[in-house]
Amino acid sequence: MKPLLKRGLFERSPLNRGMRGGMAAKIVGPWDWIILPALISVAATIVLATAFQPFGLYLPEPVTPFLLAFAWPLIRPSYIAPFVLGALGMFLDFFWGAPLGFWTLSLMLVYAALVFARTYLIGQDWTIVFGVFVLTEIIFFTICTTFMAIDTGSVPRIFGVIEQALATGAGFPVVWYLMEKYLHADVRFQ
Amino acid sequence: MSSVSYGDNKHFEHLKLPMTWAVMGVVGLVCIIAALMLLGDRSEQVEAEAYARRQGFDSAAGPVNNVLSWPVHKVGDGTNWLDDYLFAVSENRILRKKVAELSQYENMYKQERDLNSRYEKLLNLRTEPALEMVAARSVSVSRGPFANNRLIDAGSKKGITFGNPVITDQGLVGRIVGISPDVSRVLMVTDVTSHVPVMVMRSDARAMMNGDGNTGYTKLDFVRGKDSVREGDQILTSGDGGIFPRGLPVGEAVKGVDGVWRVRLYSNRGPIDFVKVVKFKDFSQLPDASTLLRSPPVSDILPPPAMPKVDPQSQASVSAAASSATSSAAASTPATPAAQVKPPVTRASSSSSSAPRPRPASSSSSSVATSTPALKPYTPEAAPAAAPSTPTGTQP
Repeated sequence: MKPLLKRGLFERSPLNRGMRGGMAAKIVGPWDWIILPALISVAATIVLATAFQPFGLYLPEPVTPFLLAFAWPLIRPSYIAPFVLGALGMFLDFFWGAPLGFWTLSLMLVYAALVFARTYLIGQDWTIVFGVFVLTEIIFFTICTTFMAIDTGSVPRIFGVIEQALATGAGFPVVWYLMEKYLHADVRFQ
Repeated sequence: MSSVSYGDNKHFEHLKLPMTWAVMGVVGLVCIIAALMLLGDRSEQVEAEAYARRQGFDSAAGPVNNVLSWPVHKVGDGTNWLDDYLFAVSENRILRKKVAELSQYENMYKQERDLNSRYEKLLNLRTEPALEMVAARSVSVSRGPFANNRLIDAGSKKGITFGNPVITDQGLVGRIVGISPDVSRVLMVTDVTSHVPVMVMRSDARAMMNGDGNTGYTKLDFVRGKDSVREGDQILTSGDGGIFPRGLPVGEAVKGVDGVWRVRLYSNRGPIDFVKVVKFKDFSQLPDASTLLRSPPVSDILPPPAMPKVDPQSQASVSAAASSATSSAAASTPATPAAQVKPPVTRASSSSSSAPRPRPASSSSSSVATSTPALKPYTPEAAPAAAPSTPTGTQP
């Protein structure tokens, strides 16, 4: 008997859904839309943190897990995604040297807000989704700035926050790609 | 209670929970854990204990980062080659001009250094010893507004300890806050938790350089004195507090558009690929707060200050005046020998007396002098007897 976790995470065999079994033409597992994007996010963060200045310019430092925190609840509320998102936040805390729990808490607040807003956003045009994305990003970085000001007693440079927000916002096509690919990929996501 | 049958025995697969609220429960759980961690984190105090829990992660992140950033380094080498190729002629012109300028300064520097060493010997100055340094390569960097850190590929195996300053050939970069055997974490001076005591070289004015996430410029706060800072003044570490040695070059003062003095960092002149960790330990052994609280006050340790010498004649006249005053007061009281009179000492009067208590002079109170060492003014050592004393200005 194969372990349940392995089957649930990695295997694409359709589950027995009883009377609705024939509807599940393709099963999208957590590996496809949660774990693999999370690993790519970690790799992108590490690569962009390389001490390298092409032509004297700095590499951008986007908060790539924010893209996943926005896309995952819109694709489907999941029990695994919050834990993976928490792990990604912890990774950022450790890797970037931020206070422990700083990125985790900020990302989880975004996820929680999007879980409730999901029903209003599904099926909307990309411009509407982009508008909500920008609004969420502004709130996210405001929360981060507030947390940092409370924790350290000094306010980070606002222009630097805007720079990081712009670098993160440039990743919106990734959000749209994930939504297009996985939102209607599995009938169980409807 | 009615149960729906799906024709199989896999009941858990058909279990339907209120999905949104169940997920929110999971989110709430993770949020609580994160909030507790954030409340318990003390990294803003920049202490060794606060970064100790990151040691394992840093030691693993260094090699992983080396592997993943290999293609980036290769691309970087290519762009550097292209940059050198395209701008070789203009750079050559600039370098020729600089060499011509610097060759003049080189001679001046040698003369001044020689003169300075003579002065140090003449004044018998206690010069600081040469500091040992460890070279390291920067592995990764976080340069966002919320954290400015850097991982370098040298750790405790090379003798690096918490608090060691990190410099480049240009100037100060930061200090070591996390150590693992092969990798160390550097807190950049631009980090929001970084506070560096600095001084203005021209005016010797002190200030505090605080980071705010700006990668090129840091704030200059608590600048004291009028006209103590001017545009272009060189900023050095002051050595106050014992965190950094005195005199490390930091940057030059510029005034921002918001009217705030900032420091344009010298270390930002070029890429921070390789750094040097200064093994500076002189003031690192500061006592902790509990030790300071348990230590006795300074007034208990130091001997009382020496009273000024009193002229015997004036003392006699003062005592005569005092005896006349007491004799008039004692006219209405029974006569008692002066030696046997003891003033009534009460607890209230002794404790609430606002008049300063006279302190015994160090020369007259032998008990105090024997129990505590007497302070002596500093007197320079006598010149050797063989050296003849010549008047000033007549020396060859």
